[in-house]
Amino acid sequence: MGVPYIPVIGLVGTDLLKRRDDMVVAPDPFGGGTMTVVAKAMRPDVAVFHVDQADRHGNVSCGYALEAVILAEAAKHVIVTAEEIVERVTESEATGAFVPSILVDTVVHAPFGAHPAGVTGRYAPDKAQMRCYLAAARDDDTFAAYLKAQVFDVPTHEDYVALFVSPEGQRPSRTVRA
Amino acid sequence: MTAAAYNDAELMAVLMAREVRDGEISACGALSQIPAAALLLAKELHAPNAEIIILNTVFRPFHTSRQFHYLAQRGELGLFFVSGVQIDRYGNYNLHQLGRDPDHPEVRFPGGYGGGLIYYAARRSVIFRTEHTRRSLVDRVDYVSAAGSSAPNVLRWGNPSKLVTPKALFGFDRAEGVLRLESVHSPYTLEDIRHDTGFDLGMSGPIPATRPPSAAELHTLREVIRPKMIETGTYAAWAEKSLGARPSLGA
Repeated sequence: MGVPYIPVIGLVGTDLLKRRDDMVVAPDPFGGGTMTVVAKAMRPDVAVFHVDQADRHGNVSCGYALEAVILAEAAKHVIVTAEEIVERVTESEATGAFVPSILVDTVVHAPFGAHPAGVTGRYAPDKAQMRCYLAAARDDDTFAAYLKAQVFDVPTHEDYVALFVSPEGQRPSRTVRA
Repeated sequence: MTAAAYNDAELMAVLMAREVRDGEISACGALSQIPAAALLLAKELHAPNAEIIILNTVFRPFHTSRQFHYLAQRGELGLFFVSGVQIDRYGNYNLHQLGRDPDHPEVRFPGGYGGGLIYYAARRSVIFRTEHTRRSLVDRVDYVSAAGSSAPNVLRWGNPSKLVTPKALFGFDRAEGVLRLESVHSPYTLEDIRHDTGFDLGMSGPIPATRPPSAAELHTLREVIRPKMIETGTYAAWAEKSLGARPSLGA
């Protein structure tokens, strides 16, 4: 949108508001006498998100991840990882939300890049790996062990897929016990 | 067939359907099986001209949730169904976390998505909770995800109007900003409700029994809405299992 801040209806009196310094309650500047939350714009330096299809120019079809469009517009630099690189992605043929190449800086071909989450129409979330993640995320030490085993000790994305995604793309071929 | 038996889900769907007004726009969010049944039931019975929005199903006019939010922000959403892990006397609900110390929650939940906005934008919100206990209905929620009322100068189009549980129906007193017990569902008694509710019932005068689902309401729910939900993939598995299922309440 490119605006510095925006009024929001709602959130007044919530605990969320108490914990955010980018949202304040402010009066209507046009003298209407009402108060609303005003939220500061988010301008990420870099956005990274996974999509269904991309072409070499950076045109992207995101399935139903409509929020990705807002993210791409807000961020200064955009990196997309894609299940599939195709010859050409056009707005009229995109199966879901379309992000034009003008918003995208870099495309990375990464099949199973959403794993252990899923991609609609391609593969379902990997429940066993999700449970492993949830168990590990309960405390810092087990989560550090998880990250080491599933991220830092895995040299490439191809290695990750070979180690953790089953041939059907549904079940892991190996689970890490955190 | 005056004393038909029904289960909790059917009872709540019928009570919530009665809150839908003809000609208005009414909606529910994700993971809202009972409200979805209620919206479809109301449209079939007393509100044929109601516009209903069941997010993430075929019953939605928009492809993006953004358009739904804009409609609500314009003040065009008449009724919204919402739930929370905890609900308090003041119509606040909690979908975020449990525990007295907000910095060290005992349990965290996914949060409320747009509920913290829609609760203020909808003209009326009906809160529902399938568990009526002292842990779900509390005096003060551990974390306010959305507030039941605000200072008069805060821009909001509406407030909660009712709380529906499997045991009782509460109304929201906008002047005082508190929920008040309106009726008790058979076979529960006022003592049961007092025992199972974690806040002052705010009673003023005698509390009647809730008007039970009629034979026509139950018949339509089971014979029209259930197949419609199954055919349209609207919480089909839930509808198949819950509507027309063996009653949890004998009447």
